[in-house]
Amino acid sequence: MIAFAWLLTRAITLAIAGQFVGEIIPTLAALAGVVVLRSVLIWLLELAANRGAAQVKSQLRALVLAKLADRGPDWVASRQSARLSTVVTTGLDALDNYFARYLPQLLLTVIATPILIAVMLWQDLGSGLTVLIVLPVIPVFMILIGRATQSVQQEQWQALQRLSTGFLDVVGGLGTLKIYGRERRQFDRIRSITEEYRTRTMKVLRVSFLSGFVLELAASLSVAIIAVSIGLRLIDGALLLGVGLFVLLLAPEAFLPLRQVGAQFHAAADGLAAAEELFAILDDEAVPAATALSSALSTVPPTADAAGARTAAPVEQLGPRPGSGSGALRLAGVSVLRGDTIVIDRLHAEFAPGELSVVRGVSGVGKSTLVAALLGFVPVTGELSLGGVAVPAGPGRPWLAWAGQKPGLFRGTVAENVALRAASADPTVPDQMAPSRTVPDPVLIAQALLWAGAADVSPATVLGVNGDGLSGGQAQRVAAARAIYRALANDCHVLILDEPSSALDAAAEAGLLAGLRRLADQGRVVIVVSHRSAVAAEADHEIELQELIHV
Amino acid sequence: MSDSMPGAAARDVLRLAQPRPRWFTPGLIAGIGSAVMAVALLACSAWLITRAAEMPSLAFLGLAVVGVRAFAIFRSVLRYLERLTSHDAAFRQLAELRLGIFRRIVPVAPAGLASTGRGDLLTRLVRDVDDLQDLPLRVVQPLLVAALTALLSVIGIWLIVPAAGLTLLVCLLLAAVLGTILSGRLAATADRELAPLRGALADEVLEVIENLDVLTAFDALSPRLAQLARTDARLRRATLRRSVGVGVQSAVVSLFAGLATLGALYFGIPALGTGGGLLSPNLLAPTLVVAVLVPMAVFEVFGMIPLAASAWRQVRVSARRVADVVPASPPAEIPVDIENSLALPEYDRDEFVLELTDVGAHWPGQTEPGVAGVSLRLAPGDRVHLAGPSGAGKTTLAQALVRFLDYTGSYRLGGVEARLLAQTEVRRMVGLCEQRPWLFDDSIRQNLLFARDTATDAELLAVLARVGLADWAAQRGGLNARVGERGALVSGGQAQRIALARALLADFPVLIVDEPTANVDTAGADALVRDILTAAADAHRAVLLISHTPVPDDLITSRVTMPFRG
Repeated sequence: MIAFAWLLTRAITLAIAGQFVGEIIPTLAALAGVVVLRSVLIWLLELAANRGAAQVKSQLRALVLAKLADRGPDWVASRQSARLSTVVTTGLDALDNYFARYLPQLLLTVIATPILIAVMLWQDLGSGLTVLIVLPVIPVFMILIGRATQSVQQEQWQALQRLSTGFLDVVGGLGTLKIYGRERRQFDRIRSITEEYRTRTMKVLRVSFLSGFVLELAASLSVAIIAVSIGLRLIDGALLLGVGLFVLLLAPEAFLPLRQVGAQFHAAADGLAAAEELFAILDDEAVPAATALSSALSTVPPTADAAGARTAAPVEQLGPRPGSGSGALRLAGVSVLRGDTIVIDRLHAEFAPGELSVVRGVSGVGKSTLVAALLGFVPVTGELSLGGVAVPAGPGRPWLAWAGQKPGLFRGTVAENVALRAASADPTVPDQMAPSRTVPDPVLIAQALLWAGAADVSPATVLGVNGDGLSGGQAQRVAAARAIYRALANDCHVLILDEPSSALDAAAEAGLLAGLRRLADQGRVVIVVSHRSAVAAEADHEIELQELIHV
Repeated sequence: MSDSMPGAAARDVLRLAQPRPRWFTPGLIAGIGSAVMAVALLACSAWLITRAAEMPSLAFLGLAVVGVRAFAIFRSVLRYLERLTSHDAAFRQLAELRLGIFRRIVPVAPAGLASTGRGDLLTRLVRDVDDLQDLPLRVVQPLLVAALTALLSVIGIWLIVPAAGLTLLVCLLLAAVLGTILSGRLAATADRELAPLRGALADEVLEVIENLDVLTAFDALSPRLAQLARTDARLRRATLRRSVGVGVQSAVVSLFAGLATLGALYFGIPALGTGGGLLSPNLLAPTLVVAVLVPMAVFEVFGMIPLAASAWRQVRVSARRVADVVPASPPAEIPVDIENSLALPEYDRDEFVLELTDVGAHWPGQTEPGVAGVSLRLAPGDRVHLAGPSGAGKTTLAQALVRFLDYTGSYRLGGVEARLLAQTEVRRMVGLCEQRPWLFDDSIRQNLLFARDTATDAELLAVLARVGLADWAAQRGGLNARVGERGALVSGGQAQRIALARALLADFPVLIVDEPTANVDTAGADALVRDILTAAADAHRAVLLISHTPVPDDLITSRVTMPFRG
């Protein structure tokens, strides 16, 4: 549509320009009309393109987030979160150029160029043929040059990457350099790094600018050829002036869309890279967990006590089992697989209500994996039962309260964090949160903070992104308080804390442990993963995870 | 990035980014040449065709034929040269730019940088500095090229048909002014409306992704996602509202291009055959066609201006951010060497004592002191554990002891007040192993050598063995093994050990070790503290270990507990 109008505009402009000796006023008026029409159309084109881009972005973002939610925390943790969020925010913004500029331009090229060429062919066969011959040559040449330069560029790439981070390295390490009195020497280093960066980049650019050069040269030379050939035929009287001028003006227009596609392509390249990552996320099909697990486990040589573990069926198919301790959390032959490695192999354990249990083990033995398994974030095989009833697979365990190694606090007040409800996203925007299911209870919040040994933290303290505004130890205790609040408010039967005191001094740790003791006394299952001796001393029950010996 | 940011600081930063004329001019000349050639190509072709229509002898056209071909070739060649020379100039200036910024960072780093401690902000600072190269490439050069080419064309047309030349000038000016004003307005609205929304959305997305485990475990995920969808919808609505204005600029340029052509026709046709401008006292058809068609070519060159304008906005934002993060002069809390600062007088290493009396320190921009009222004494052979809850100001004290922060009270080194000493002198005596030691993206050898560049490989291996890294280094392939970008290839504990090895090589009489276990797997922390204290123990060295976690008594000679603040 638009391309056609554009062409029409051109055609009329030129037709009129051709008959410049004729009656002036009506043609001038028509010309003026077309000029206005054309600018309106350009505006509409951009409007449509931008709207489209905004809509597509929203849809993609929603899709990706839904996918992430669907995949669960363990899947997300296996990717770098910073990278993921870059893809979902700025990566999507980079798509702006792709959707709002590159695609419309490409469309325009596909539509407008054939029409322009057709008109030229119709008006003047010779000129039309010239364009028709030159036009396909351009992409061919660009591809050829691209191929030829690819090896050169790849050779340089690695070096360039290192050099481009060289400055960051120096600036970031400046504190360290000052400690060793080396800061003054860095001037030379920066200069030489940047100089080398320049020479290497220029080497690459000299070649990559060639493709642009070819494009420009082909376009302007074919205009020149057309002009000269038209001129010569005009002398012979074989051609009318009007036609000649018209074709001459159409010739650069025929190349323009293609040139602009080339120009926009660079801007769109970022977006394309982001898009690839997005689609990689969307297309990532998780291997059905249970089958992967059972097939992997079947390669493990059976051992004597493996009778329970060999039933590699998903846990939800297991019925309630009689005879387990009332309210105890039991693990019978629980195995967890990550990738191809078995992290937890047929673990048997029982956590009794009213007891404070501590899970110990050297680093990397799978303590955090065990927690993730209890949370339902990773697929497990074997039996996991609470009070004799099998626990269904997957997250969403209303009887469980948990605090992880990373505090994971949100923007908002400490009270909002403890009573974790959706915090307002933007302080300048009226609060339109979803109604939380439970109204936060200030008394309960204070109690949770007290029991987490965090009585010194005011519930009204406002936190920034990632819990900014609290020290590491305070954040850790607030996170523990959040789990305690949930345990108290929802009457969760099981409380799991993963290294809750790693950043705490002895006094704060003692406060937390006293709180945990009271929760256990209320009849809860309290599990603490910790290597701290103070925690072990307080615990009623200790589970030592052994390192797996892989065959 | 407040709006009230004074422009002066940002302007200083921008000045650093603009290459000196010697480098910049060749690219500029090539650019103008290429643009003029583009206009001339169209003009010459039009003249050629129209003249040919009058069927003169071929000889009259020879020059034009040559001209058309020459313009076509030179246009591309010059464009290629322009891109090469201007990129080369921009890269040359990058060295100057980085050095200029670095010169400003050195006195204030690390405590005076607004971004200290936030690795991502630091990365952004460096990226912003590098983005400033766009100033010559995408802002100054296109603007100058477009403006000068337009000016030359206006003069040319004016010589042919004065009124048409004036119309072209007016149209160009209007297009430039209106276009710039409109796009400036739109960008301002965008900044006001969209940027906060975009920021809010980015923050929310990050929060959700980083804390997906928490949200899932607390059943808070779906309300969060719903809320995110609402923010997204707000952003989308704002974007849609704004998109109405986005195309206006190109429409304006296109409109005025048409008007300029119209003007040329309107004024040129009556003048045909009678009298034109200086060049054409008797206006002929071929010349008129040139006058009518040139505006179109000029406006094509002119199309660079909107792109330059948007690049300019980005560059300006980068410049502001750089100016914000890197203060032009150090804030009051950052020490500056006094005039005639002293070198440390001769001292006996075994008698070298560090003494603090009622020492306090401030972080820049904070009203409360980060630490106050600290008194302690470190003598050779001492191993002191500085305990205290997190947030008590232990790290602040460490930063003050190596003079990254200024201090109040008295801090004497070997009997001399530290304030009177040159900072480099203080840091020759007092070393610090930072909480997050920085490892350079290089080999283990280079990461050790800069502490003492005369050290032999045998010495380096010995010191690695002392900090418990001998096996690890051997496994990795010896001293040539790389540590990765920001030490990505080593664990937190290994990084601490390398940092300690560095400090041991430098052989500071006083060594401060700041929270070595902060980024270490909790299970390995105790072993690390033990190894550090054992390796650093020396009758000629005083060690101050800062740690909030308990340290066994047998490893230390005394313990100081930091008072609570406030």
